[in-house]
Amino acid sequence: MEAGRTNDLPYIKRTKDGRINIKSGNKIDLVVKWTLIILSILTVMAFFFFNYIGLQWDRAIPETAHNLRVMFLEPALNHFSWGEAFYQVGITVGLGVLATVIGAVIALFLALMAAENLSRPWISKSIRAVVAVIRAVPTVLWVLIFAIAAGLGSEAAVLGMLFHSTAYLVKAFSEAFEEVDAGILEALRATGANWWHVVTHGVLPSTFTYILSWVFLRFEINFGVAVAMGAAAGAGGIGFELFMASGFYFDLREVGFITYAILIIAVVLEIISTQLKNRYFPASTNN
Amino acid sequence: MTLLQVKGLGKSYNSETQVLKNVDFEVNAGEFVSIIGPSGAGKSTLLRCINRMVEINEGKVIFDNADVGSLKKKELRKLRTNIGMVFQHYNLVPRLTVIENVLHGRFGYKTTMQGIMGRFTEEEKEHAFMLLKKLGIEDHAYKRCDQLSGGQQQRVGICRALIQEPKLVLCDEPIASLDPNSSKVIMDHLKSITTDMGITCLVNLHQVEVAQDYSDRIIGLRKGEIVFDGPSKLLHEDQINHIYGTELRELITV
Ligand SMILES: Nc1ncnc2c1ncn2[C@@H]1O[C@H](COP(=O)(O)OP(=O)(O)OP(=O)(O)O)[C@@H](O)[C@H]1O
Ligand SMILES: [Mg+2]
Repeated sequence: MEAGRTNDLPYIKRTKDGRINIKSGNKIDLVVKWTLIILSILTVMAFFFFNYIGLQWDRAIPETAHNLRVMFLEPALNHFSWGEAFYQVGITVGLGVLATVIGAVIALFLALMAAENLSRPWISKSIRAVVAVIRAVPTVLWVLIFAIAAGLGSEAAVLGMLFHSTAYLVKAFSEAFEEVDAGILEALRATGANWWHVVTHGVLPSTFTYILSWVFLRFEINFGVAVAMGAAAGAGGIGFELFMASGFYFDLREVGFITYAILIIAVVLEIISTQLKNRYFPASTNN
Repeated sequence: MTLLQVKGLGKSYNSETQVLKNVDFEVNAGEFVSIIGPSGAGKSTLLRCINRMVEINEGKVIFDNADVGSLKKKELRKLRTNIGMVFQHYNLVPRLTVIENVLHGRFGYKTTMQGIMGRFTEEEKEHAFMLLKKLGIEDHAYKRCDQLSGGQQQRVGICRALIQEPKLVLCDEPIASLDPNSSKVIMDHLKSITTDMGITCLVNLHQVEVAQDYSDRIIGLRKGEIVFDGPSKLLHEDQINHIYGTELRELITV
């Protein structure tokens, strides 16, 4: 038989039932597999341990449905005007833009120092370590930490978002820089170009579309965080109004309205970013 | 006149393997020299020792009366402006235009600020267009490099090396990714660099026949040592076998 011949070839790995393996079957695969299995089991089990006392299913479900219907089918403004709403949305967008733009500029320089192919190993390693620590702490915590010095409000919110955005973008940018073909860097260095020449005319043109995509992505995240910070850290903007409407006035219709406003802004931002990319960097859509 | 002297050059990337061992040769100004040898013989490494893209471990490289191994950073930049380099994979910046890529060859002459701002003189730009014309790709000057064929990209690479106004051009397998027709075009251009412009060429090649057709002189490298160095006419079957190892050579020719 055909299969019989390949049976004793030492370089073919087989499963226990004799079929040929196409995964290398290393430890990492195994660990990933078991992690997934254990997580799934834990998730299912969690449902059985929830505290269901006092929960009346027959009332809870219809009332939630009713609340959702009021919120999303009958949105209305009761405590502030349309103009006010626009103004507040503008504040939230402004917070996001400020944190993202400043963060991106700082991150660009730090990322150049953090990229292994453009920097010295010890500089690159130390920046990476610091940045990893900053990233590990959630944005909200950074805002609260800065609130100690600046007091709760928009300054603390922007500083906190800036801190986390910078760290996030340093990682993203430096990884993009490291993807640049080593041959390009070599060719430029071989002409006698110095480090700044290589960066501005080799690395940045090759990675510009990635950098732009990461900045837009981070802006979307920051917009979301800015909404949350309005509520949690008193940074103002639409998030604060949302907090007031839901937690203070219990006005479901207004919550619905604000949610729609945020949704529309998010969609508009998405459209603008896609348009920008298509117009100025058509290459990013086809490679 | 001797342009390049390599004396007792030794190079190793790690403690286990010595990539180049006691390499000795000289190149005169205006020569066209090919380096042949099997994969892993150290051809690319040898070229990169000459413009010090890799550090030299033992021995000396003397280019134009300067000891390459002992140059400081600034002097090294200056040395590199005198040595052009052409690569197997062209190594252009794909998202920039042809003319921008050619002008990259002038960075060695620029201050940091001039380079960052991309300030090139009108003479430099005219020179760039003249070179594009000479290599027959002036029509593509404003195209992005990734829209060009391999042969066209390699010609851009040659322009980038020539605009440096170098005394020596190092070519690392310039035709290894090209079809026979484009290969001939590229080799003809490289040859004319030497014959028309008087620029010395040192070319790594995989094709022995091409090396024999085009070069004045051939250096055979095997396991990091020079095993042949002489005029191309003197490279005969048994020397080729010696360079590549007999069994291997038979495999190729059959
Ligand atoms: N950056 C590096 N680090 C470590 N070892 C290297 C490095 N570059 C090359 N080598 C080793 O040095 C030896 C010679 O490599 P080199 O690239 O000079 O050979 P080559 O003659 O150009 O081969 P090819 O014809 O395949 O291009 C090889 O064994 C290779 O593994
Ligand atoms: Mg090589």
